[in-house]
Amino acid sequence: MAADVVRIGHTVSLTGGASMWGQSEARAIDMLVKKINDAGGVLGKKIEVVRYDNRNDAVEAVNVAKRLVSDGVVAVIGPAQSGNSIASAPVLEKASVPMVVTTATNPYVTMDQRSGKVRPFAFRPCFIDPFQGTVAARFAITDLNAKTGAILYDVGSDYGQWLAKYFEEAFVAKGGKIVAKEAFRSEELDYRAQLGKMKGLNPDVIFIPTSQKEAAMAAKQARDLGINAVLLGTDNWGSPDLIDLGGSAIDGGYFVNLADLADPDIKDFVAEYKAAFNEDPVLPNPVMAQDALLMIVDSIKRANSVEGEKIAKAMETIKDLKVTSGPLTISAADHNPFNKPAVIQKVDVKNKTFQFVKKYVSVE
Amino acid sequence: MDYILSVVTLAAINMIAVLGLSIFTGFTGLFSFGHAAFVGVGAYASAILTYYYYVPFFVALVAGAFAAAAVSLIIGVPTLRAKLRSDYFAIAILGFGEAFRVILENLEITNGARGLPGIDSFTTLPIVLVALAFSVWITRNFLKSRYGVACIAIREDPVAAEMSGVGLFRTRLLSLVLSAFLCGLSGGLMAHFLSFIQPVMFTLVQSTQLLAAVIAGGMGSITGPLFASFLFIVLPEALRVANMWRLVAYGLMLVLIMIYRPQGIMGYQELPDLFRRKISRSGTK
Amino acid sequence: MFLQTLVTGLSIGGIYALMAVGYSLVFSVLGFSNFAHGAVIMLGAYLGLALAVKLHLGIGLVLVGSIVGSGILAVMNERLAYSVLRRRKAPSLYLMISAMGCSVFLENLVYATIGSRFYAFPEFFSRQVVQFAGSSLSLLDLAAFIVAFLAILALHVFVTRTKTGIAIRAGVCDMTMCSLMGVNVDRLIMVVFLLAGAFAGVAGVFLGVKYLVYPTMGWVTNKAYIAAVIGGLGSLPGALVGGLILGVVETFVSTYVSSVMRDVFSFTLLIALLVWMPNGLFGSDTEEKV
Repeated sequence: MAADVVRIGHTVSLTGGASMWGQSEARAIDMLVKKINDAGGVLGKKIEVVRYDNRNDAVEAVNVAKRLVSDGVVAVIGPAQSGNSIASAPVLEKASVPMVVTTATNPYVTMDQRSGKVRPFAFRPCFIDPFQGTVAARFAITDLNAKTGAILYDVGSDYGQWLAKYFEEAFVAKGGKIVAKEAFRSEELDYRAQLGKMKGLNPDVIFIPTSQKEAAMAAKQARDLGINAVLLGTDNWGSPDLIDLGGSAIDGGYFVNLADLADPDIKDFVAEYKAAFNEDPVLPNPVMAQDALLMIVDSIKRANSVEGEKIAKAMETIKDLKVTSGPLTISAADHNPFNKPAVIQKVDVKNKTFQFVKKYVSVE
Repeated sequence: MDYILSVVTLAAINMIAVLGLSIFTGFTGLFSFGHAAFVGVGAYASAILTYYYYVPFFVALVAGAFAAAAVSLIIGVPTLRAKLRSDYFAIAILGFGEAFRVILENLEITNGARGLPGIDSFTTLPIVLVALAFSVWITRNFLKSRYGVACIAIREDPVAAEMSGVGLFRTRLLSLVLSAFLCGLSGGLMAHFLSFIQPVMFTLVQSTQLLAAVIAGGMGSITGPLFASFLFIVLPEALRVANMWRLVAYGLMLVLIMIYRPQGIMGYQELPDLFRRKISRSGTK
Repeated sequence: MFLQTLVTGLSIGGIYALMAVGYSLVFSVLGFSNFAHGAVIMLGAYLGLALAVKLHLGIGLVLVGSIVGSGILAVMNERLAYSVLRRRKAPSLYLMISAMGCSVFLENLVYATIGSRFYAFPEFFSRQVVQFAGSSLSLLDLAAFIVAFLAILALHVFVTRTKTGIAIRAGVCDMTMCSLMGVNVDRLIMVVFLLAGAFAGVAGVFLGVKYLVYPTMGWVTNKAYIAAVIGGLGSLPGALVGGLILGVVETFVSTYVSSVMRDVFSFTLLIALLVWMPNGLFGSDTEEKV
């Protein structure tokens, strides 16, 4: 273990269903690490990224976490998914290695479910699901004028289950009525039984907090069944292949996302990425990954050390740090950022793009 | 070093499960595509006990193994009593394994398909080695006993065995229960080693891998499957082979073994036997 | 909602029937569970996808291409993995394990080479929906159902009216006698697998068009086993009826009981049938009919 490099781990899904985001994360990180190293590195040493593919599988994520600890990394960027992050957290915590996830939004990533206390070594640069669910509900009620809603979610997903819960709470709190809440088994692609039930109840919106492929299937089947409700989703919809998989059925659907290509705050990043790789970054992961890296670098500098505990302490006091997505302040109480914005995007099949609709900064 | 230790520990844990399956498949002659479910029962039962109820590790481990043995009765009694054809039985136990997984995914206490993270990591290599030694000891004694001999008789010729007074149903059931017990033990050790378990870790894919080790190692042998299962875990890690290529190799290997050497590496022999023969051969010069 | 559930169930059942027929065909002639059937279905889907996306063929030609391709794949599968064992008169268990090995091999080969990304077929039926009595059925589902029915009917005609078909049925009863009577057993088996592969190809394309194409899509054949057992292993009409029954019952369970526990029900049904009614509806004791 050379003492003249600072090893930062990256656990990412380079293969598997989430690989488009993962590969984009890797590129964005490498791009930024080169810049930082060219400017002198951190604490006078160069950053070396140690990267392993967690294949979007929780068991492999645990394996990867163990390997990274074994490789002597001072901090870890990622994972991007809530399930993988919750699985990796205990391993990294035991080794006192700070973990900064990229886009994992489930509250229990930074908080231990059994004890209810914050995890001392887990942090994130993105918003959490209560916020995301609430934003979706608010948008449905005020902008889509929905009075009734239905929810279709994956029973095997940390992400989906909690989002469904927060959406329901916020929707009902604003005067809406949830007429149906149906679940499906993970990996299942046929939801006609569940959607058939919803059809008779005539919801105005159907909230589908799932991955893009499941959303695509749900959209197709819903339209085939003659359901006309507006489809509403969350950040996992935001993959470029949503439109390939969903076709005309997913046209006009809305979803919450962490970043939008048209957002002026990340203009420079998008331009730089495009110049280097000849294609758009697959948002929002690469932005969040860079945010995570900058959080780690800043904390190492302020702690003036590469010891895990000191880095974690410094991370708790991050205030107005300029990261790729804007200024970032971390709450010491729950290790989540204050006031991260959420955007609403609309699926436009004809132009094969996601249109920017609205931005929420905080929901009271 | 840590990483190597972890690989060896995982291999040893796997060997216990393979040993369990070899009692049922290798020695009693019934093929099972569902034994990963028993590993799962042991894993979840012991994990739930230590995670929610703070039960001491060894107690939880044993409880998990017994739970697996009990669950095996649920599928064993109806299917073995019905004296199903061997491939029907394999399909039935395959179905059982799949149904088991769905149940795991839907119970609150197992945290569903999301899995149970944060299990205390009580398992260490010495503990696993003791468990492995214990398992080998149990297996050898069982096979030497009249129950074990009965199992082998059933494998060779069920009709003749029955005629000689061997209770087909009882012996097969006993063999299943014992094999499930060992699988459950393996599961409990695994849960407290990985600190995280998920239903998708106990499916047909894993059952097939266990079966591959038993077949490759050789039916009717203890050391054969042990050796094969160790190889299956260590070799891919050593070669840094990606997981999917590992499975490609398993699949190909199953086909080739069935065609060219169905008795596996050891095939009804034990490792020491090979050495004995070499020595005696050189002795006759 | 009842009618809609029934309609959805029949459309799912049609696909199950297609898969079950191919599986039952092999079982009736060779007496073993061809676990590699799911892998052939998956390969048929990928083949169809390649034809649709790379060569821009329409659904008709895609089906034909997949039928031919999967048929060939199935025959190759038989030649490489089963023929040696069959000639050696190895126990059916060996064949089954070899089949499982093939399945694992092919599925992971696709996973390792093409990757795990999910792919969609181009929209062939442009989302047109048929509405009646408050229920909807997509044109695609209707087409799949009709094709499945016609294909099985065609198979039935082939098996009862043509020389090769009759030879197959004879082979089911007594393979040795058959070869003594001058039938080329190897060629017969080849025809059987060609047919099984053809059905797998159709099933694969329809599955791919209805849903998505991905390496583990072959696992849906677990349902085909259940359908085949319901109808009686080795019985063709049984595979059709079994598939439809399973599809309908599953959808009703999903709608009225629990969508997430649906598979527990299906597999428990499988085990119960195997234990108490192994011949299903149409199967018969030792002479399993085609």
